[in-house]
Amino acid sequence: MTEGGPRVLVVDDEPAIRRFLHASLTAHGYTVFEAIDGRDGLAAATGRRPDLVILDLGLPDIDGIEMTRRLRERMSAPIIIVTVQGQEAAKIAAFDAGADDYVTKPFGMGELLARMRASLRRAASPAAEPVFIAGSLTVDLGQRRVTVGGHEVQLTPTEYDLLRALVAQAGKVLTHRQLLRQVWGEGYEGEMHLLRVNMSNLRHKLEPGASRPALILTEPGVGYRLRVEGG
Amino acid sequence: MSQILRPPRRWQRYLWSALLVGATTLLSAPIHRFVSPVNLVMLYLAAVVIAAIYLGRGPAALSAVAGVLAFDFFFIQPRLSLTVANAEYLLTFAGLLIVGLVISTLAARSREQADAARRREVQATALYELSRDLASASESDEILRIIVRHVGGTFGREAAILLPDGDTLQLRAASPGLALPEDESAVAAMAFQSGQPAGRGTATMADAAVRFMPLKTARGVLGVLGVKPVDPGVYLSQEQRRLLEVFASQSALAVERAELAEQARRAQLARAAEELQAALLNSVSHDLRTPLVSITGTLSSLEEDGACGDNPVQRSLITMAREEAERLNVLVGNLLDMTRIEAGALRTIQEPCDVQEVINAALDRLAGRLVGREVAIDAEELLAPMDFVLMVQVLVNLVDNAVKYSPPGSPIAVTARRVGDDMEMAVLDRGSGVPPEDLERIFDKFYRVHRSAGAGGTGLGLAICKGIVEAQRGRIWAENRPGGGTVVTIALPYESPASTTQGSERP
Repeated sequence: MTEGGPRVLVVDDEPAIRRFLHASLTAHGYTVFEAIDGRDGLAAATGRRPDLVILDLGLPDIDGIEMTRRLRERMSAPIIIVTVQGQEAAKIAAFDAGADDYVTKPFGMGELLARMRASLRRAASPAAEPVFIAGSLTVDLGQRRVTVGGHEVQLTPTEYDLLRALVAQAGKVLTHRQLLRQVWGEGYEGEMHLLRVNMSNLRHKLEPGASRPALILTEPGVGYRLRVEGG
Repeated sequence: MSQILRPPRRWQRYLWSALLVGATTLLSAPIHRFVSPVNLVMLYLAAVVIAAIYLGRGPAALSAVAGVLAFDFFFIQPRLSLTVANAEYLLTFAGLLIVGLVISTLAARSREQADAARRREVQATALYELSRDLASASESDEILRIIVRHVGGTFGREAAILLPDGDTLQLRAASPGLALPEDESAVAAMAFQSGQPAGRGTATMADAAVRFMPLKTARGVLGVLGVKPVDPGVYLSQEQRRLLEVFASQSALAVERAELAEQARRAQLARAAEELQAALLNSVSHDLRTPLVSITGTLSSLEEDGACGDNPVQRSLITMAREEAERLNVLVGNLLDMTRIEAGALRTIQEPCDVQEVINAALDRLAGRLVGREVAIDAEELLAPMDFVLMVQVLVNLVDNAVKYSPPGSPIAVTARRVGDDMEMAVLDRGSGVPPEDLERIFDKFYRVHRSAGAGGTGLGLAICKGIVEAQRGRIWAENRPGGGTVVTIALPYESPASTTQGSERP
């Protein structure tokens, strides 16, 4: 289609997967480049200057985590990793290495396209807005004011810091470690219960009475993300 | 070696000493006519010295006394009588006796010292040889054989080593031809339990035929070493017993070393097997899933792009194909999970989890399946230790089952509460329930209640749930609900959150 669409680099060693991604993404207006392994992918990341990379974590030559790290050294474009279920540890490591989002095999094109759009949008407007709005939630980062449906919500300093960390990267998965380090500081990365308790309190305050809070999404075994419109 | 450590019998030495005096007398007989009788005393003194050096103090004293008597009897006038004509010979007798006794004492003491030094050297050599052989062996059975051989050779005894196997002591190595009678095992067990020598020559059960020494190290008693004399009349000397104890402690260290090495080797093997298994599972998982990824992706792409235009038949066929591919993916996942559980390769990470969050994560994942269903959540606010990801999977399976086996639109409920020391989660439906005789069997692999042929499934979902729950020391069971329907309950041990909810604020 149009050559002017966002440039996407697909790094996957499976020809069948590359082919259907190529066809579908091209049909959706993306310019697609393919890389068959890690080395090829790293070369393309510098040579093709992609706006987004879709990276399979199970490449034959370079470990997926290492690949994410090396890609991150070469470029700032979002990286969406493709994993299989049960690879939580690898997923976490990839996020810590700089991945932006993930899809789990087998994935539908609708899901992948939504993740790509969200990542590209975040990359396009990196500066955090002083006032964040999602549904009925408004977070005024300048005044440290949080309102839900117009009513001010009283948060403890920890809860506020947690919310601010999520808002700063709205739509992006933040791993448990990342959140613990950002909110509590170095050395607290293993204190999961702190995160669970404060997250539970924060959810109750932001969505009181809801049996299924939907504003802060749980990524099982990996972390949390703040839901954004259209993401 | 055994000859040096086992001195000749006592009476033999006295006999030798008497023979020595006799020989001296025989030697003196032809020459006594040519020399003064007093000079013959020198020959008797020489005999005393020889006896003192080679036979010990007692035989030397005997030779001194016997020498005086023989000298008097055979060579002093009147001959062949103990009477003495010339009283000055009494002085000679006294001199011979005193000098003989003193010499015998001195010579015997130096002999004893030399003997002691030699014995120490022999002991040191024996110990050195044991240590050297033990050090060069690494395999457990070989070490046991070395111990038995050395103990047997050094002490002239048959030896046996018994090591615990479960609750009983098992004979692991023994000298050839050694048979341990049944009742000796009680003595061995006594030594093993008390950590003290037992049996022959000890304070406990001294009438036993075998002496048992505990093989003790800092870690405890590892087993027992049994020694049985080849000749039942021969007991070990004090010194030999001490040496035997040293042997036992050396042996204990070697046995311990072998056991630790064996443990390390086994752990390494298990790790290697586990790694291989994981690699194999990952590779199978990858190979099975890769085609599914292309199929699902392609079909979903066709579905969403509206490639079929307005043709509703084609569209529904594509949707069906995609759903089937997804079902196949679940099947592959279940098979792999089951393999992992059965191989004991399932690793759980138990950490405090917000139970409500676990439930919500499971329902989020099932969002597509729950359209048109009312799911009531009644969960206490609990921070319970569990593996988040695996428990989500359990709930997904249970809720999915509830959807599958209950009429469309009927309500489903998920509850969580604390009951005693447990955290109990339950999934309730209003389906047709489970025949009572099947309530336990539904958690068996591939078991399916034959009631709804239409509800597709692998018969693995509940077996996987059971595997996951039990890996976290929990229980899972099913019951029929009053008023119809099924309730599946999971109970996981709940540890008090008192220590973990504290400090939820920054210090």
